[in-house]
Amino acid sequence: MKYSYITPRDKSALTQEVQLLLSFFTITILMLFLTYTFLLYKNYSFKHEKQEILIKKEKLKKSFLVMEEEIVYIEKQKLLSENIYTKNIVLKDSISNLFDLIPSRITLTQAKLLKNGLILYGITPNKDIYNFMLQAPLRSIFHKTYSSFYPAQKGWYRFVSTNYINEEKEEKIDE
Amino acid sequence: MLSKLFESLYNKVIVSIVLNRKSCSVYIEICSKSTVVDSQTKTFETATINQEIIEFVSSYTKESPYSYYSVLDTSVDQGAIPACKKSELSYYKNLDSYEYKCFDEKWVCYTLKNDLYEMKQQYKDFGVDFIFSPISIIYNFFEDKVKSHFALYVLVQDNFVSLSVFENSALMFAQHLDMKTSSDEELSASVIEVNSDLEESIGIDLDDVDVIEEMEDMEDLDDFGDIEDLDSLEEIDEFSESQDIEEEFFEIDEPIVESDDDSVNEDYQRFTLIQKSLGDYYNDKHYSSNFIETIYIADGVGVSSDLKKYLEEEMFLNVYIRRLDIPMEICSLAKGELGL
Repeated sequence: MKYSYITPRDKSALTQEVQLLLSFFTITILMLFLTYTFLLYKNYSFKHEKQEILIKKEKLKKSFLVMEEEIVYIEKQKLLSENIYTKNIVLKDSISNLFDLIPSRITLTQAKLLKNGLILYGITPNKDIYNFMLQAPLRSIFHKTYSSFYPAQKGWYRFVSTNYINEEKEEKIDE
Repeated sequence: MLSKLFESLYNKVIVSIVLNRKSCSVYIEICSKSTVVDSQTKTFETATINQEIIEFVSSYTKESPYSYYSVLDTSVDQGAIPACKKSELSYYKNLDSYEYKCFDEKWVCYTLKNDLYEMKQQYKDFGVDFIFSPISIIYNFFEDKVKSHFALYVLVQDNFVSLSVFENSALMFAQHLDMKTSSDEELSASVIEVNSDLEESIGIDLDDVDVIEEMEDMEDLDDFGDIEDLDSLEEIDEFSESQDIEEEFFEIDEPIVESDDDSVNEDYQRFTLIQKSLGDYYNDKHYSSNFIETIYIADGVGVSSDLKKYLEEEMFLNVYIRRLDIPMEICSLAKGELGL
């Protein structure tokens, strides 16, 4: 039976000291938990980044190979272009030189530039002009020179001059 | 759930404090569930809560957050009423400004709300968890008797006398009397009256008995030589002889306190108060005034044999005195409240 006029005050095991202690532990645990969570997140983030970097690396590797191939191809193209350019310059010089070689009294009707030779078609007033003024310089350039003459109108001659360079010798000279 | 777990881990410290006129009794009991681990009692020579008491109590209560402070209601304006329904309470007293507690749906203990507040203020250093009425202490202390014995039950404290009449666990009448407020003149007048004409005072009591039957004719029946009254008195004496033997043994076992002048004077004051209270019981038409032949006294201070003698010789009551340690009893009530 209850005899008291008043009801007892609420009692709690959480005294000020215990509350302080619990607060301390709670904060500590909370901090540990937060740190753990943060580390978990960072770990996940790092793994994710690592995965991305690996994929990127793979892509870069592939890209690098492609680029190397392209570089090789471009270098080849460059070499080729340089070669062509050089050849063109040489050809240009050759043609220029060729036209310089042609004396004003001889008229060329056709010129064929071969890899290792030159075939000239034209008209000359006489054989001597040709022999002295054209054949002499051609012989100094080419190793083999063959000339054929065909009579034309008014005592003129049509000629075909076939000139070859000895390739082996040329190569040796290049070397 | 968690609080229950914590509660089971800690011991409960129950502190009972009783402030007397010149001293303060403190009883501390440390309980683990229903087992008493330790108990300590100490009396301080002070009538107020001082630092020494606070330190003594704190040395025990700091061990457990589950410390309960129980005190006895020592206010003057308190008592009990043999009714529990609100409609019936007003017949006896207007309890608007009182705090009251119903028991067994038969009777209530009441005390002034202001006094409760003052008590809380008085013990504000500790805080109070339980405040018990002296009447409820009587009820609990004489629990074995109130169920079957129609009698006057008295709690004697240092400066208070609490009286109650119980019949079949139901309160019939109760009063709480302060020895200090009883005027000396009144008391000395009573002393002269009783000493000068002892027989007359007995006659008055017997007349009060007669009131049961005819209250209105009380004055007419105020005659010591009434044969019917004497006959009824004899019958009552015979009946009183058939009291259970156990009580008689109990009475014999009680230590007889050596009487000195102070204690005799105080005991006479108590006797006067009991006598006056019984007169109130018989005369007040609010109460059914059955004749009381037995008085059980819970002695909380160590009354002398004179009180027993006064009651037996002058009021023809069968007197049984039980020694009561009030702080310990308060503690047992507090334990009951806590379910220990």
